[in-house]
Amino acid sequence: MRGDQMTAETSVKQRALARLSDVRKRYGQTVALDGFNLTVRSGELLAVLGPNGAGKSTAIALMLGLQRPDAGVAELFGQSPHDLGARRGVGVMMQEVSLPDALRVGELITMTRAYYPDPLTLTETLSLAGVEKIAGRPYAKLSGGQKRQAQFALSICGRPRLLFLDEPTTGLDVTARETMWATLRSLVAGGTAIVLTTHYIEEAQALADRVVVMSKGRQLAEGTVDEMRALVVRKRIACVTRLGAGAISAWPQVASAECDLAHRTTITTTDAEAVVRRLLAEDPTLADLEVRRAGLSEAFAELTQEPAQ
Amino acid sequence: MTTSAPIAAPTMGFRRLIGAYLSDARFESLRLLRTPAFSIPILAMPILFYTFFGVLLNNKVSPAIANQMFVGWTVYGVMGPGLFGFGILVAVERNMGLLTFKRALPMPTGSYLAAKLMMAYAFALVVMTMLVVAAVTMGHVDLTPLKLITVAAVMSLGVIPACAIGLFIGSWAPASSAGAFANIIYLGMAFLSGLFFPLSGVLRTIRPIWPTYHLAQVARAAAGLPVDGSVASHLAVLMVTSAVLILLAARRLARVG
Repeated sequence: MRGDQMTAETSVKQRALARLSDVRKRYGQTVALDGFNLTVRSGELLAVLGPNGAGKSTAIALMLGLQRPDAGVAELFGQSPHDLGARRGVGVMMQEVSLPDALRVGELITMTRAYYPDPLTLTETLSLAGVEKIAGRPYAKLSGGQKRQAQFALSICGRPRLLFLDEPTTGLDVTARETMWATLRSLVAGGTAIVLTTHYIEEAQALADRVVVMSKGRQLAEGTVDEMRALVVRKRIACVTRLGAGAISAWPQVASAECDLAHRTTITTTDAEAVVRRLLAEDPTLADLEVRRAGLSEAFAELTQEPAQ
Repeated sequence: MTTSAPIAAPTMGFRRLIGAYLSDARFESLRLLRTPAFSIPILAMPILFYTFFGVLLNNKVSPAIANQMFVGWTVYGVMGPGLFGFGILVAVERNMGLLTFKRALPMPTGSYLAAKLMMAYAFALVVMTMLVVAAVTMGHVDLTPLKLITVAAVMSLGVIPACAIGLFIGSWAPASSAGAFANIIYLGMAFLSGLFFPLSGVLRTIRPIWPTYHLAQVARAAAGLPVDGSVASHLAVLMVTSAVLILLAARRLARVG
């Protein structure tokens, strides 16, 4: 009985809610997706990272049925994304959208709720999105951050099983961002799958169960945050030393060395142990030594060969 | 192993589905009522123009002329909501990403256009009511109440070609120029189809190329006024023109969103 239950739970956990299989998409001469694969499983928060032009938005547009792949297959709940029934399980927060200015936030939610078979109530939506205070305000009168919060409310009002969020916290203040993060965690805990594209590496690091790194229309790496970090062999050493950053950066195992205004030197290396031994040997006065693994930010930068924001 | 068998789609009951269409229509009308740049010209201009040009400047005309002027202004009034409601709004909403957003949502098929159509009907009904009241109280028309109601009812058909023309403009024109195109076409068609004064020469000859001419002929028939050709042929032209414009617009929207 317990075994059956676990199998059923595992099956639900691993069920693919959305899938892109070997999809290709071009815009004229520009290749947006080049044999890209992606699976979104139920109950996970998947962060899709990549530099501008990596193909993140195109991948989401294909999963939502906004565009058709030139080759390959896009599926939503095992059906075509163009199927209205499939889209009834989806909530969407897009990056570049302006909603009708003259409608109030509560009215926009009411209008969007009507598209779903079993939506949250208006009160539940306002509370979950943390937008009770702006419910009666016209969309035109909202600040940039409040508009993002209102769009977030629309994305969750239909009780979606799969939520697509494109740069959801851009423009939010710290409090609003933390409220949104808490809501996302509670949605995932309740079984909602979330696909999150973000430029904030810390956001992916804080929220994601799984990360996909894209570049030039292809998947570069995929795994948990820890797995992504483990892909990167670099480590960071920080210390206060009288040795010059210029001299250290010339050492064979050192990728870079910088000294900040507080005279703290930060060294990036592929062989932390060897560098630490040499530092201690050459500078008996060395203090405040700290060694840490690369974060997701460094992993992202190394994988894409572009600086993370 | 990740399974990918189809997952049962949530079903939408009939009542909720109808509710979604009505909700879209309600909020479409509400937001345009709250947008003076749209609602004031659409609702106020036909009655102001009719009162000024059709009543005050022509207060000694015969009932026959007054009837013709009333019919002409009803065509003008009924075309506005559809032409601008689609022409400008579709172009603007394409530009602001709203159309793409709505396509990503599980909005019922056709609800986006149905909401605008219902909004156009609602606005046209208000315009027609004001024109009928003005005609009866000040316009010197001698149409019976039944004829007036028949004209109003038949004129409601004019919303469809107006929406088709508007949709065509909205699907092709950039947001920045859609308003200009809609105005030029609106006023151009109104004058060139002889709604406000008789035409002569080549302008008279080419009147049949304008949908407003055919709509005016249908309105004249409803009012019991003389008609060029058969009403059926005018209705056929209006239907074919509307269908072609809607098809072209749909193809464009499916391709570029």
